[in-house]
Amino acid sequence: MYIRVKRNKSTYFIQCEPTETPLSIKQKLHSIIDQPPSNQQLVLLATNDVLEDSKTLAEQKVENDSIVGLALRKGIVLTY
Amino acid sequence: MLGKGEAPAPREPEEEEEDTGGFVKLISAEGFEFIVDKKAAMVSNTLRNMLTSPGGFSETRQGEVRFPEIATHVLEKICQYFYWSLHYSSGKESAEFQIEPEITLELMMAANYLDT
Repeated sequence: MYIRVKRNKSTYFIQCEPTETPLSIKQKLHSIIDQPPSNQQLVLLATNDVLEDSKTLAEQKVENDSIVGLALRKGIVLTY
Repeated sequence: MLGKGEAPAPREPEEEEEDTGGFVKLISAEGFEFIVDKKAAMVSNTLRNMLTSPGGFSETRQGEVRFPEIATHVLEKICQYFYWSLHYSSGKESAEFQIEPEITLELMMAANYLDT
């Protein structure tokens, strides 16, 4: 399946499985954008729930074609 | 979606490819960006030609394709179709691909251009 991760004017189509966790989504995003998973926050827009890394996508009602908002932590020096 | 469209009207090369780890950025008329797997973009024969043609187009190197004539909501539906097509062609199961009637005409014109 895939989900649509949106931020500002950008939409990232990310392929994933329901058994994956948001952390693996963040790692995939890390390969596209220059932000480590620890600075990313994903929000399921259908419910406005913040996705937790400890649960799978399926447990958090993230389905195929779901739209997920992406927030980034700003204002700190990133060292990684 | 559509069969063999004729080659798109002559225009500036809009093709491109990416260096960005297998992703391509498609940009709509309004400037919204859709980052999709290159594999998904290759569902479109037009994009496939753009992405695989030799000669190193600048868009190819940057991994961005601009579509000044495709509206955002149409381009998003196209990207969704790419992934639907990937899934559908790889397995036996099928699912409906929902298309809102309001965008049908625009979507068909875009599909013709993209030869999808």
